[in-house]
Amino acid sequence: MLSCKEVATRASALIDGELGMWDSFQMRLHLAMCKGCERFIGQMRTTRDLTETLFTSDAPGEADDDRISAILSQLHQGKQEGG
Amino acid sequence: MPTVRGEEAALVQLLSVGDRAAFEQVYNRHNTTLVRVATGIVKNCATAEEVVQETWIAVLKYISGFEGRSSLASWIFTILINKARSRAKREGRIVSFDGAGEDDNLAAAFDGRGRWKNMPELWETLTPERILAGRSVMEHVNAAIDALPPGQRSVIILRAQQGLDAEEVCAILGISEGNMRVLLHRARLGVRAALDGLM
Repeated sequence: MLSCKEVATRASALIDGELGMWDSFQMRLHLAMCKGCERFIGQMRTTRDLTETLFTSDAPGEADDDRISAILSQLHQGKQEGG
Repeated sequence: MPTVRGEEAALVQLLSVGDRAAFEQVYNRHNTTLVRVATGIVKNCATAEEVVQETWIAVLKYISGFEGRSSLASWIFTILINKARSRAKREGRIVSFDGAGEDDNLAAAFDGRGRWKNMPELWETLTPERILAGRSVMEHVNAAIDALPPGQRSVIILRAQQGLDAEEVCAILGISEGNMRVLLHRARLGVRAALDGLM
């Protein structure tokens, strides 16, 4: 049977659905009997979900007319200087 | 109905003729993430903004040479990473994404038989809106990600981007898939540890 340390090492692979059938079975067997690991996997799921929520709220960004104009102006300037 | 690739080809075509609305669309989609990734590499917000601006100029300058062998997002992030690493190198720092020498800061949590020394907490009450130590949980998550080493930080940010698959993230950072999984796991452990310290 896996130790708690081994379960913790495989936590991301489990929550991302990347474990094979045998590894996944071993993990679930351990989790059925170990409250500590069950809680840890729950923490890792929450961490993943909070991180994804943070980056989802990033996009799309605010329109930034000044910066966009500065980039386009610099590009045209470079083209003119380059001939 | 147009395919994603078809839509992207149309967008690239518009970018190549200098269509401002098309540029605004791509800029608004990626700029915040580009700044996040660059800041982790150059370690300075002002320099990161400059690197991102240089990236956008390069994107528009060379868009006609974009052949669609990767997604447009992957191409843009590859340009950014190259520019940010070059800038760090000019400032005397070599930035590596392989995570060598980093550990997962979890070893001390187990006894000699690999069992938890202390039972992990139940996080049922940890919601994005909750305030802990004067800041929202999301602000703590943001700060924890900012504190990660460059490889972990880049992987956790890029893996959350729509339109970038695991293979593309590996190609952008020049790391193996196994390495990327280790970095993503360590990054999550780092964020988890920061949140756990507040509970």
